[in-house]
Amino acid sequence: MSADDFFDRTEFIQYFRDETEELLQSIDSDLLRLEGFVDSGQIDAEIIASLFRGLHTIKGSAGMLDFKDVQGVAHKLENVCDLLRKDRMPLSESCVNLLFEGRDILTALVHAAVDEGVPPEGVQGFIDRLDSFASVYETTAKVIEGNNLPAAAGEHHDEMAPVEQDQIDAFEAEVARLLAAQNSEAPPAPVAEPPPDPQPVASGAVDAAAAQAAIDALLAPAPAAPAPQAAAPVAAPEPAPKPVPAAAPAASAAPAPAKAPAAGGGAKNQTIRVDIERLDMLLNLVGELVINRTRISDIANTLSRNVNDPNHHQDVVVPLAKDLADSSALLARTTNEIQESIMKVRMVPIGQVFDRFPRMVRDLAKARNKEIKLEIAGAETDLDKTIVDEVGEPLMHLVRNNVDHGIEEPDVREARGKPRAGTIKLNAYHEGNQVIIEVQDDGGGIQLDKVRERGIKQGLIGETDRLTDREIIELIFTPGFSTAETITDVSGRGVGMDVVKKNILRLKGVFDVDSVLGEGTKFTMKLPLTLAIIQALLVRVANELYSIPLDAVIESQRIETSDVRTVHGGEVITLRGQVVPLIRVGEFFDLSTERDPDKVMIVIVGLQGRQVGLVVDSFQGEQEIVIKPLSDVIGRIPGISGATILGNGSISLIIDVHSLVASAYANGRVARAEFSGV
Amino acid sequence: MAMNDKAPAKLSGQTMQVVSFALGSEEYGVDIAQVQEINRMVTITHVPRAPHFMEGVINLRGQLIPIIDLRTRFGMPRTEHTKNTRIVVTEIGTKRVGMVVDSVSEVLRIPTEQIEDAPDMIAGVETEYIRGVGKMGDRLIIMLDLGRVISGNEKHDLETLETEAVSA
Repeated sequence: MSADDFFDRTEFIQYFRDETEELLQSIDSDLLRLEGFVDSGQIDAEIIASLFRGLHTIKGSAGMLDFKDVQGVAHKLENVCDLLRKDRMPLSESCVNLLFEGRDILTALVHAAVDEGVPPEGVQGFIDRLDSFASVYETTAKVIEGNNLPAAAGEHHDEMAPVEQDQIDAFEAEVARLLAAQNSEAPPAPVAEPPPDPQPVASGAVDAAAAQAAIDALLAPAPAAPAPQAAAPVAAPEPAPKPVPAAAPAASAAPAPAKAPAAGGGAKNQTIRVDIERLDMLLNLVGELVINRTRISDIANTLSRNVNDPNHHQDVVVPLAKDLADSSALLARTTNEIQESIMKVRMVPIGQVFDRFPRMVRDLAKARNKEIKLEIAGAETDLDKTIVDEVGEPLMHLVRNNVDHGIEEPDVREARGKPRAGTIKLNAYHEGNQVIIEVQDDGGGIQLDKVRERGIKQGLIGETDRLTDREIIELIFTPGFSTAETITDVSGRGVGMDVVKKNILRLKGVFDVDSVLGEGTKFTMKLPLTLAIIQALLVRVANELYSIPLDAVIESQRIETSDVRTVHGGEVITLRGQVVPLIRVGEFFDLSTERDPDKVMIVIVGLQGRQVGLVVDSFQGEQEIVIKPLSDVIGRIPGISGATILGNGSISLIIDVHSLVASAYANGRVARAEFSGV
Repeated sequence: MAMNDKAPAKLSGQTMQVVSFALGSEEYGVDIAQVQEINRMVTITHVPRAPHFMEGVINLRGQLIPIIDLRTRFGMPRTEHTKNTRIVVTEIGTKRVGMVVDSVSEVLRIPTEQIEDAPDMIAGVETEYIRGVGKMGDRLIIMLDLGRVISGNEKHDLETLETEAVSA
């Protein structure tokens, strides 16, 4: 921070964005929980308190940064929560819907404020509706209070003053907290806290039923409508009372920094929260390294003092050799553990992604008039941050697909003897070195005959092609496969499904679909725990070492040159009855390689069920490698995904099997290669 | 300092610190602020199908640094590496790039008024990489615009590669 920037907003804004993202996510899950209480009418005070804290923190931070819109809406939403908390307002579906809508508007406003974008439309309309909504209950409460307590009017004003003080206190606490977090002495920008101006409440005889009717009229717009509609005229039986912006935080809801359990799912979020235990473990290991360093330098010193003294061979050098061996073993153990620990630091729970689905499923189900339960298991399953960031989109498409096409209409389900409410299960767990994520529904299953029909219509397959069930399901993931002419109603099965496949492959994962007609569909994806460290097969090509990720390798073969044949000008071998095309890696990369007249070394790689042989000069064994990207100064090179540094400090380029094979086919390298038979 | 400044600000009395090195018979210079370190020649790992002037990558204490052969970049004939050959590791923006040069001479302080805009007179060297020429007595130091050295034509090469990759 330069001295000129007395108040560096950008840092604060960054902090605000990260924090708010988290809070909005937790508000979302609070609202979903709250919705579950609508039927019983009971309210879990803890949920309301948590909502309140979230909104309050957003309000305070936004105020500090002078994001007036955000501050204003958060304040209004807080009012509603306050009414709920004080039991002045019954918990109703319309109320929850209004809060959901408010949360979305708040999200849009935050994004607009942070990215200096255009604020969403209809904010004022929403605020007006919110005001009318709250004011009806304020009035009702007032009337009831008035009936019970003759001195209500005076008391009301008494009540206001401490509230105002509370707000100021809370705000100051918030400022102090943000400043501490920034470890900066910059004072906050002057903030205009919306002054609570208690208006005398127009008292009128409004009974609760009328109030509810008025509210329902206000909430006429469909609950799932993303943009707030223009404010409906207030249909209250009495002249609409002025909005009462009272109801600010009470002392019980001190703005303790809300510790949301789950971080926001924003893919742009480049920071990571680390369990302090994991850091401590890392620190311990580094401590061991330091101790070991001292030990090794002691050994080196003793050795250099005695190196020219043959007399000390037995009593000095021999024990030193043993010490060194011990140290070396310790070093190996410690570095392994450090490697594991640092990978763990990069791990975040998949729950960060799962968290956004309850809301999505709720909204989608409402829009489609379906009843859907979402069950989530294994949200605590850890995987690498980069994968968690990438896996959200494919999962979203899968879940959408389940809602749109998997789960049937309630009536259809009933007719089929299933419960009216369908179930979507999201499950994640570790299996060996992989994470398995399952998305399962108990819907109608994939109608293979219809998919096949569409495939023929779109020219993806021939009319007489004989396809296995599996191959038919694969069609869904083909780019351009669309069933817009309806397999089912809303959109075609397959929308976005090619994206699913592409993303999973890019993450070096595999996926599987199980579908039983009438019983449901289950997507299973297997992803590596991390993309940073992989097992690789080292091969030599034109005197350079290349690494081939082991997950792509099926086997390596040494074949007599005379067994290589040509088909349409391209080299192939026959392996257990299967014809496998060859790509000569050296020639693909335009390296000067010489062909061995007697034998060829072939690494058989698998690509979506297809096998291709990569011809190399020699095999150099397997090794665990750390992937480093090539500099963007070099740019992307087909066939190369990065590089790694080997134990002796030399560099090995990592072969990207997928793009190498694709590029070789596209350039006709596979077909063009000439047979070099003896 | 912005990397694409065609000529440094000319304030009289100010000097510019320049790392000077040789390529053939010419003397070149880069702003010392852009030089991270100067290394002896190490093994360069060839990167196939990279732009032609990309010599490869080296391992610099665990970091991969792409290496540009400046002779190739400037269309000069390649020569055998000698014991004087150096890798000048530069930092341009967030990018780190090593440049192979024949030898590194010294750090010079050149008064800014002695640095002239890139002339058209330097025959044989593409002037687009030059941001000025510094005069020290009868020596001429060709000041490089590193931003252009690492991009420029190579952008074209990359696009070709990317088109290929996309069509693949």
